[in-house]
Amino acid sequence: MNQHQLTLAMTRRTFFRRSTAGVAIGIPALAGLLSQDGLAVEPGRDPRTGGLIGFPDLAPKAKRVIFLHQSGAPSQIELFDYKPKLRQLQGQELPDSVRNGQRITGMTSGQSSFPVAAPIFNFRQAGQSGAWISELLPHTAAIVDDITIVKTVYTEAINHDPAITFIQTGFQQPGRPSMGSWVSYGLGSENQNLPAFVVLISQANALNPDQPLFSRLWGNGFLPSKYQGVKFRASGDPVLYLSNPLGISPTTRRRMLDGIAKLNGLLAAEYGDPEIEARVTQYEMAYRMQTSVPELADLSKEPESTFALYGEDARKPGTYAANCLLARRLAERGVRFIQLYHRGWDQHNDLPRDIALQCKGVDQASAGLVQDLKQRGMLDDTLVIWGGEFGRTVYCQGKLTATNYGRDHHPRCFTMWMAGGGVKRGITIGQTDDYCYNVVEDPVHIHDVQATVLNCLGIDHTKLTYKFQGRYFRLTDVAGNVVIKALA
Amino acid sequence: MRIRIVVACLMAIALAWLLSATRSVSVPAPAATAPPTQAAGKPIDFDREIRPILSDTCFSCHGPDEKQRMANLRLDETEGLFIDRGGYKIIVPGNSAQSRLYQKISSKDPAVRMPPVFANRTLTDAQVELIEKWIDQGAHWERHWAWIAPKRPAVPEVQDKAWPRNPIDDFVLARLERQGLKPSPPADKATLLRRVTFDLTGLPPTPAELDSFLADNAAAAYEKRVDQLLASPHYGERMAMDWLDLARYADTHGYHIDSLRDMWRWRDWVIDAFNRNMPYDQFTIKQLAGDLLPNATVEDKIATGFNRNHMIDFEGGAIPQEYHVEYVVDRVSTTGTAWLGITIGCARCHDHKYDPIKQKDFYRFFAFFNTVPERGLDGQLGNAAPVLELPSPEQKSQFAGLEAQISKTLAAIPEKEMVALQNQWRRQPLAPLPATLEEGLAARYEFQGNLKDSSGHALDAKATRGDVVYDDGPVGQAADFTGETQVDFPAGDFERDRPFALAFWAGPDGTKGLDLIQKHSASPNWRGYEISTGDPTFDGPQRPRFTIFVRLASHWPDDAIEVKSKERVRFNGDHHLVVNYDGSGKASGVSLLVDGKPLETQAVKDHLTGSISTESALSVGNKAIGRPLKGQLDDFRLYSRTLRPSEADALAIQVPERALFTELAGKPVEEISTLQPEKPPAEVDIGMEDQPPTKEEKDASQLKEHQARLSEYYLKYEAPENDRQLYAQLNDLRAQKANLQQSIPTIMVMAEMKKPRDTFVLGRGQYDNPKEKVTPGVPSFLPPLPPRAPPNRLGLAAWIVDPQNPLTARVAVNHFWQGYFGIGLVKTSEDFGSQGEPPSNPELLDWLATEFIRTGWNVKAMQRLIVTSATYCQSSKVTPELEERDPENRLLARGPRVRLPAEEIRDNALAISGLLNDKIGGPSVYPYQPKGIWEEMAFGEGFSGQTYHESAGPDLYRRSMYTVWKRTVPPPALTTFDAPDREKCTARRIPTNTPLQALVLLNDPTYVEAARALAQRMMETGGKSAADRVDFAFRLATDREPSPAEREVLVATYRDQLADFQRQTEDAAKLLSVGASRYDPRLNKSELAAWTTVASMILNLDETITKE
Repeated sequence: MNQHQLTLAMTRRTFFRRSTAGVAIGIPALAGLLSQDGLAVEPGRDPRTGGLIGFPDLAPKAKRVIFLHQSGAPSQIELFDYKPKLRQLQGQELPDSVRNGQRITGMTSGQSSFPVAAPIFNFRQAGQSGAWISELLPHTAAIVDDITIVKTVYTEAINHDPAITFIQTGFQQPGRPSMGSWVSYGLGSENQNLPAFVVLISQANALNPDQPLFSRLWGNGFLPSKYQGVKFRASGDPVLYLSNPLGISPTTRRRMLDGIAKLNGLLAAEYGDPEIEARVTQYEMAYRMQTSVPELADLSKEPESTFALYGEDARKPGTYAANCLLARRLAERGVRFIQLYHRGWDQHNDLPRDIALQCKGVDQASAGLVQDLKQRGMLDDTLVIWGGEFGRTVYCQGKLTATNYGRDHHPRCFTMWMAGGGVKRGITIGQTDDYCYNVVEDPVHIHDVQATVLNCLGIDHTKLTYKFQGRYFRLTDVAGNVVIKALA
Repeated sequence: MRIRIVVACLMAIALAWLLSATRSVSVPAPAATAPPTQAAGKPIDFDREIRPILSDTCFSCHGPDEKQRMANLRLDETEGLFIDRGGYKIIVPGNSAQSRLYQKISSKDPAVRMPPVFANRTLTDAQVELIEKWIDQGAHWERHWAWIAPKRPAVPEVQDKAWPRNPIDDFVLARLERQGLKPSPPADKATLLRRVTFDLTGLPPTPAELDSFLADNAAAAYEKRVDQLLASPHYGERMAMDWLDLARYADTHGYHIDSLRDMWRWRDWVIDAFNRNMPYDQFTIKQLAGDLLPNATVEDKIATGFNRNHMIDFEGGAIPQEYHVEYVVDRVSTTGTAWLGITIGCARCHDHKYDPIKQKDFYRFFAFFNTVPERGLDGQLGNAAPVLELPSPEQKSQFAGLEAQISKTLAAIPEKEMVALQNQWRRQPLAPLPATLEEGLAARYEFQGNLKDSSGHALDAKATRGDVVYDDGPVGQAADFTGETQVDFPAGDFERDRPFALAFWAGPDGTKGLDLIQKHSASPNWRGYEISTGDPTFDGPQRPRFTIFVRLASHWPDDAIEVKSKERVRFNGDHHLVVNYDGSGKASGVSLLVDGKPLETQAVKDHLTGSISTESALSVGNKAIGRPLKGQLDDFRLYSRTLRPSEADALAIQVPERALFTELAGKPVEEISTLQPEKPPAEVDIGMEDQPPTKEEKDASQLKEHQARLSEYYLKYEAPENDRQLYAQLNDLRAQKANLQQSIPTIMVMAEMKKPRDTFVLGRGQYDNPKEKVTPGVPSFLPPLPPRAPPNRLGLAAWIVDPQNPLTARVAVNHFWQGYFGIGLVKTSEDFGSQGEPPSNPELLDWLATEFIRTGWNVKAMQRLIVTSATYCQSSKVTPELEERDPENRLLARGPRVRLPAEEIRDNALAISGLLNDKIGGPSVYPYQPKGIWEEMAFGEGFSGQTYHESAGPDLYRRSMYTVWKRTVPPPALTTFDAPDREKCTARRIPTNTPLQALVLLNDPTYVEAARALAQRMMETGGKSAADRVDFAFRLATDREPSPAEREVLVATYRDQLADFQRQTEDAAKLLSVGASRYDPRLNKSELAAWTTVASMILNLDETITKE
């Protein structure tokens, strides 16, 4: 490792102290001068990864996370949480005793009736574990022995903006760092040429596609902006401003960079500010990104077998399938946190039509990703998570007919699955009631999911904190328990 | 539940710990008789050295928060620290060994030692020792510094009397001398000019400014220049830039769909206030309570936009009360952070854990901001209530003129007489409808609660999907389609060579085009016909106008006719449509009448040869083959002939009138509602959108509306000539007024409800958990509201700027300081509480704060004071020793060296390349942005702010503070350089140094174009030789000449590049094509391209983007 790489991810101040005075000699002197005044000294960072020294603080099982977020909230009732009794309850009013005061969104609060809508899709038992899986997810059924299904995730928000902000940042209102930001702040990067936290957006397969996303979902909140997720895009530059301008050849670019480095070097000698050398290093990393990212995004060298695994859709940039494949390629290259979004799960009406389309868009690729990681021996240290921001109501929104219905937002239970690094394989956690409305056994709060993800990465969620406005903030706010049952 | 259990456990542990400690520690000799240990060394400063330790380590369990407090022990107040706790004391001054606090923190027994393991906090040995010493020195305790009003400290004595230029320097130098450090030499003149020009205007000095400054050898040359900069109109822009972060200014609402709002007039107000040097107390009062000032001006009200800059939600399904609370919470937190530097927002759910802010204090503060007449969900159409209309003087006089004319016309209308005449008319038999309306009638569906054909020529229609809902319509009842309903009509099988007509009322909802009538199959090559709306344009968010399409096909799309309306129709409610086809087989044979009036059409396809007859049903709402109708359909008629305009007119006007006439028979009209003066709009309130009317209210309003509609018909068609004219005149004036009203810009402002709503403490901060009712008030640990201050925002504002307020002036001068030095005297500029960092130079902070008040809160004078200090004027070069001792430059032994803020990096590139458009103020602009980054995350059609419409011309080159700020997708080139997303109040940006920044500066078209423009400048005015041109550009970017070594690097690059571009002229042309501006075609392309690469390098230099 050369000096540039060594200092790559270090902060300005630690860079200086290390490069001039050897490891951490500057710190006591500084502390001596300033701490008597109560002035803070920045905590140390690992020179290799840029992560916080002392983290991971537990034995890590996973090195990286791929979070397949299904934005808009897929119905647990159609996909994972098999409730055969609903057929008999079809059209009957949801009993008040089941709803039990649960607040309802403004979209259905005006409905005079809340009739139970049974799913029109069939379920089959799959794998050795015998978990019931919807006919809409045949490929997921095939990997069921590799995943842990959690049927009892619950949240507090009943609308998209607060709910998706909650699952991504641990808080319903804007302002907190996203999960990926926390992880890259805590653990830094395993990679010298790519960002630690990458975001992939896939558009809907449903006919009713509207589902806005917000940068805050991968934002840095109050953390420094370098911890925000970097979007990899399917059209234009994969990373914003990645390509050289028209007419700038690689030779020219190299020449310019060499010149800039020389000039900045002269300046550094004059001013003595270590920030200048840090900038030289960042320019070199930018240069490496310019070659490593296109190589990464180029799927043309993938063998046919890849597309057989992920589905033919994976050839089309920007599809969920292509993004799953990209996620594997990012994981291979040591990207720490890969946040993928698939839009279009908000089925207030025409649920049967649209959920079938959505499943067609995600089933094979999600399962393909898990299988692919497994084949490559990467599933052991990669944690894959699949799920939305809340569930959907058992009662129908709008008109209930034999073939069509819609479902509103439901916070009290929904299903997520996890696979790989640190979690058990082939089990199902939690039980909901016959109406798929309330959790009966093993409730798993959003903060518990977050605590578990961090735990798999070797982080005690109560210890990874950042002081802002006088308070030590953490991803799990003031709650969160690791889901022990899920851990391998 | 879970949380409560945990808390209970912790408390149990804490109690057990206290008890165990009591048992295990042997009691030493009584404190009173024990002589205090004489602790060696210099006296320990409790406020700076001890409180931060206690706060960070102990307060969260033993602090102000009553509910969370463990062992009933409070360490943030004297009482808890020094009281006798029944045989033992937490602290025995002078005797650490007898002090329970020391016993606990120094215990070797992990079960006894504090803080406990579960607290995730530890004390270092050095900290334990410090506390020990402090106790042994007598445990002197004082109140947290920030809660005590600053007293003006004496200017300290310094050894180097020559260095200080103003008292700032005495304070800084005294500190340095204590540390055995010396200040740095002054920065050279050019560096200093560049520094101060950026700091006071956000822009670099021009070469002419630099030359004249360098040539000015007068002693006060620098002060003179500073005064000129303070007088520059760009000064206000620079000062506003920082204020926009605190004010969480943005151009969109921020939640969910995140559509546009219009708040730039507030931004203009801020710029102007700084430029006019509005005293900071006025600046504060106007923004917090300008609307409540006696004789408040429009400007005073615009200023209150500050507290409407928060995010606003209108997500479908959200609960208004929930979001309303968030808005008020945001105002409280933002006001707390921006003016007071307190984290009052932490007391929303519980008492503050570190500072003495009770939860009740939070809600008393909340009460100041809780009486705004606003909705919980709002903003779909732009600005959310309450808004202030800002007509131009022209619009104002037009409006007044129209209002005067309207009241004149109303006065001239003999309403009583009209009522009498109308009732008389209503008793007359009706004139018959044109008899021909029955001719050729093939089917008629009236939707009077059923789907029957009333013509007797066709079969009844049938709902084939969903149920039809019947509602009040243009002709009696109408069918309401939800998108989930399909009705098939067994009628309308027409042929290509025979005429036919369709007539119906339609009121399609929403912002997307829909299919109204379809008679064809799902095949892509269908046969039959359809009538659709599509291709909308928008008068405003959710105010679409649609083109109407008529398609007839034998084999779509190649054997077909397609005709569309030339004009777009606004479907605000129902319109009557007649589609005629004359059987000619030509597009010209299709005609369209809307509300009885012909609408011009144009042919899109005109090639129909085959039959259009089909067995497919005529259906409405068929989602299998299109975009099913959502909205109303009424009085659907099919004719086997074309309809004459007079007949279309009768269908659109007389038919509905007859229905009303029959319905209202025997219900004479008492007043004509359209002749009453318009009522001012009702005050809005949260949850208003939540309450559907009762059945009685609905019936009453329907009757009223029908009366009005019949009166309208009467006054339009049946009244005496003179009355008809007067009425037409009135309608015309009202339409003009409505149009004018819509074109008048607005801004969101603060206002007070006529009947203020109550405020309650919200349990755990939840909107649906109200507890104790509270009245407006300020936190009890701070001074009370000044005498005679009203208990409203105006009183609050007066309290904030009261000289007795210990925080306001300190927080303000600290923000200023942070702007210059990168770090405030209090680093945590957002938190002056016990968890914040104490000031690096408390005497200087207090002196500045008192000076600020003494000068009448004179903002410009304060800036002048700081930038003319010797401290500010030092060179920023740093020795390794100093860098090691003081990497963040907290001691100020050198000048500031800070990377430029995001906005200034771009503004600088535009300025030195000559592209900058330095126009001040106005609406936000849309400079270059990578394609699709709004769209890929957007909601879709029908809302503003979903697609990015790049500006053209000079707007591409405005200063970055005018770049449109969409909260969910903030401008990427700015956020890459640490600009915040503006979702919440931001008191300081944390600078980072990343590879993405390099990519922006190297590849963003903004910077490539700027490099090309700079290259052109080099060639045109930079001299002849390569060296001269390099020097010229280098000096523009850095205000200094390059060294020979630097020059050589750039000249060599130029030569190499020139050779390359002469070989690769295509590359040169491509590079030069970047950006919307054009270059001088007379210049040699290869040379210009080579210079462009050199200019790009210069724009990428660390020095160029840094304030040296």
